[in-house]
Amino acid sequence: MTDYIARHALDGNLFIPKMFQGFPEIKEALISNRVQAGFLVAPMAIALRSQGVPIKVVYLGHRYGSAVVVQKDGPVHSVADLRGRTIAIPSRFSDERLIMLRALQKNGIAPSEVKMVEMSPADVAGALAAKAIDAFSMGEPFPSQAEMSGFGRVLFQAREYWPDYMSCVLVVRQDVIDGRPEAVQTLVDGIARSGLWLEKGKPYREYAAEFVGRYYFNQPPALLKWALTRPLDRVMYAPLSPRKRDFDLVRDLMIESGLLDKKLAFEDYVDVRFAEHSQIKTAWKFEPGTE
Amino acid sequence: MKRISFWLLLWTAAISGLHAWLNVSWAEVLNDRLPPERRKLNVAYIPVT
Repeated sequence: MTDYIARHALDGNLFIPKMFQGFPEIKEALISNRVQAGFLVAPMAIALRSQGVPIKVVYLGHRYGSAVVVQKDGPVHSVADLRGRTIAIPSRFSDERLIMLRALQKNGIAPSEVKMVEMSPADVAGALAAKAIDAFSMGEPFPSQAEMSGFGRVLFQAREYWPDYMSCVLVVRQDVIDGRPEAVQTLVDGIARSGLWLEKGKPYREYAAEFVGRYYFNQPPALLKWALTRPLDRVMYAPLSPRKRDFDLVRDLMIESGLLDKKLAFEDYVDVRFAEHSQIKTAWKFEPGTE
Repeated sequence: MKRISFWLLLWTAAISGLHAWLNVSWAEVLNDRLPPERRKLNVAYIPVT
């Protein structure tokens, strides 16, 4: 996405996309200024800000797109069956953990009745196949990977317990926001336009799956096609403006689960100016298969 | 001895050259040397949708 934005933005090449394999590594890179912007899970961004790390959330990466997956022929058929089971999550500071806690709570299960283990997203499908874990709560395409390979079954999609669910958010270092706001705006505009482009329909999503799978994620395009089209609203790319009520919910769930010790104000960790300025943007003018 | 040293040096140079070509992101190295206001921004992502 950032590469496409860099190539097509009027300002020329402004960004270098850098792939990481886990959120903790992105966190460290942001703190040490090895990267100036990045996609993080929302609770991690809020926690970093509460610890004084100079970053702000400026936009969302997507909405929905997380699911809890269990072994296809295993004994877990409802959330209640997760009692006593081992569940993998990407990080203690993740929406995937919060959604798990929310589902457990709604089904009368205490968090202490399950064992949650942190695992790199890329490892969860293999761990489920090897029966090292009973379930995982993770973002796409890993639920799709388990489904497509025939050893996983989606127990529930995040939206079933959290209607306006969001996970990955775009954070930018404060020195960049202050010193190069036009670059941040270009990035946000580009993500907004990419999101609108993806929402134009199935052929657009299939085309994105092809080039993102091959050139960026190093994942089979067929897997990304599954994740992006079965069904089309499995992952949504609009609207991506950060909304106060969504972040208040994340913050309150973090306080409830002991991840945060104080009520941080929305304005302390979100800068909505770039999202507000990007609202008039239209999708990229680009038809699948023409480049 | 000279012959062995020559081939050893050549081998080391070839391996170093290949390493520099394949494993070093020169775009990032050069970017890091630019003044802050002219640098490209490094944007981190993980392969999830």
